Amino acid sequence: MTAALLVQSTVIGLSIGSIYILMALGLTLMFGMMHIINFAHGAIYMLGAFVIYYVFFQWGAPYFAALVLAMLLLGAFGYLVERSIYRPIKGGIEPTLVALLALTTLLQAAGYPVFGTLDKHVPPVFSGTRNVLGVMISVERLMIIPIAGVLVVSLYLFINKTRMGAAMRAIEQDKEAAALQGVNVNVVNGLAFAVGFALAAAAGALMAPIFKLDPMMGEQPLLKAFIIIILGGLGSIPGAILGGLILGLIDSIVATALGAEPAFLLSFVFIILLLLFRPTGLFGHAP
Amino acid sequence: MKPWRSLHWSTLLIAAVLMAVSPGSAGAADVIKFGVATPLSGPAAPWGIPHKGATELIFDEINAQGGLEVGGKKYKLEVVAYDHKYVIAEGVATVNRLISKDGVHFISVLGGTVVKAIEETVNETRTLNLPLAYADGLVSPKNPYTFHSFPSPPETVTFWNWIKQNHPSIKRVASITPNDDTGWWSLKVETNYVAKLGYEVVAREFFERPVTDFNPLLLRVLAQKPDIISVLAAPAGSVGLIVKQARVLGFKGRFIHLGQMDTSVVAGIAGKENVEGTWVHGYVQTPLPEKIKSWQARYTKKHGEWNATSIDFANPALAFVAAVKKAQSLDPKKIAEALSTVEFENLWGKAHFGGKDYYGIGNQIIYPMPFSEVKDGVAQLVVQLKPPHN
Repeated sequence: MTAALLVQSTVIGLSIGSIYILMALGLTLMFGMMHIINFAHGAIYMLGAFVIYYVFFQWGAPYFAALVLAMLLLGAFGYLVERSIYRPIKGGIEPTLVALLALTTLLQAAGYPVFGTLDKHVPPVFSGTRNVLGVMISVERLMIIPIAGVLVVSLYLFINKTRMGAAMRAIEQDKEAAALQGVNVNVVNGLAFAVGFALAAAAGALMAPIFKLDPMMGEQPLLKAFIIIILGGLGSIPGAILGGLILGLIDSIVATALGAEPAFLLSFVFIILLLLFRPTGLFGHAP
Repeated sequence: MKPWRSLHWSTLLIAAVLMAVSPGSAGAADVIKFGVATPLSGPAAPWGIPHKGATELIFDEINAQGGLEVGGKKYKLEVVAYDHKYVIAEGVATVNRLISKDGVHFISVLGGTVVKAIEETVNETRTLNLPLAYADGLVSPKNPYTFHSFPSPPETVTFWNWIKQNHPSIKRVASITPNDDTGWWSLKVETNYVAKLGYEVVAREFFERPVTDFNPLLLRVLAQKPDIISVLAAPAGSVGLIVKQARVLGFKGRFIHLGQMDTSVVAGIAGKENVEGTWVHGYVQTPLPEKIKSWQARYTKKHGEWNATSIDFANPALAFVAAVKKAQSLDPKKIAEALSTVEFENLWGKAHFGGKDYYGIGNQIIYPMPFSEVKDGVAQLVVQLKPPHN
């Protein structure tokens, strides 16, 4: 592998990594708050992309308005899911996992009759390419980096600088103690579902112009997001950022040097080795 | 007494309706069921939908003329279609259902990995299969009931002779294919063939079908400076992403897809300008001969939307009908014997099953294969070629 190719694959890796971070943010937030793996994350990612397809591409609304609408709609859906699924089963982890898995299957199955059976596409929002350290990158991919940055900073500020964020952190540390201090656990849990779903929708909405759309499009991002949050530490936002970048770089550099298959294997070997020495991941902590 | 009388008559009426629609009724016995197991959803749906649509149209037209005459008796043709999503487990389940539950003896299955998985079932149950699938060893003496109804890589590679003659500046070939049976076989056949023609195969790359980010793979491929990228056995959605991402990375050469793909789906994803010059087999938008124009009008009328993939995917139904007419029997063995010798008209011209010299059995469809080039966003026919074997 030449030095030029190494630089090129690093740039590509960072661009892939920023996409991975977006995919993992909502998943890690919900785990951090409620210790549940949101199996519906991929399906919500898919719905976010389809909101863009209809509102932006078919109905002609401005892209960023469609993005905000996707986050609001699916955030509201997340709140409803908390009210109608998570709360009635009293936050039990296993029943919630099964219920979210069922929700995923339902949404994916409904996707074909509703959205059609053929792959859909959304035209690029940002056209053109830029030469970054000798590698041509599309502007739409480059724009993911600042947008991912804005979402990460917003999430950080929300969790660390707002009363609701403080309530979320309190519930994460000790749900009963938080309730005794007057925190409305149900409302905060509902909000965590809403934010987690809105972040998944944002990821799907941002990926829609870059990739193609179909009802199963969330499966691969869900798998990647799982790997990332395990790598970074379940529930850790800095871990999701570092995990996303590491996985993006492995996927790019190793795939460029050795091929896609070794890259896929190596990412798992890396995680197994890491977990042997740090079972909680890079930034995770023991429960 | 009145209520009892009305109950009596309504009971008789219900019984009569049930008898008319029950599987054992005399009416149902006059139906020939033809199973279609194909991806009607998912990334491979652009293949599966016209597969089902073409079969339905052919059968509807025969039924409108009173049905298919076999041994002096008219039979209605019925399509029993299931969606297997190009997932092996679902493919096996749908074929088992067709054979065991629906009692179907004649099927057409799309997808190389699926067809390989049901190979033994087809042979053991002596079910006649007219698949649209690429898989090593599918056309083989061990599969006497399988008649492959679409040109495979050993046939379509002949287009490389045309490229060599008409575009001599192309010398370096990169091949990208899905990492499964279908992809491995397609790549092996094509790279061996082009190497013999004197091309330099500079890259052989595999990808998992769900992958959407091809940048690392393309970076590796483009480092070898290919003149042409051959994408094999991949559905239009994946090809669209490969074309789009390769163009962003600066690839200026041509793309070729000698399987079958809807170039309008590719253009939708990759952008019309990025698909220009792409060569493709089995997908032609213009110019269409009168016979296909008529097919286009009928297909559009029935399904509401034209799909050019239906032209070549009409082969299983056309071959089946021709063979039943010749065999004058519904015994799969006799129909298989008829398929081995029957010459019939498909939408491109005269077709038959042959290729014994290459496969060891004459169960591969042979006809003048259409190859097109995307010009101004439209797949335009450039040449029709006969396979290297007959």
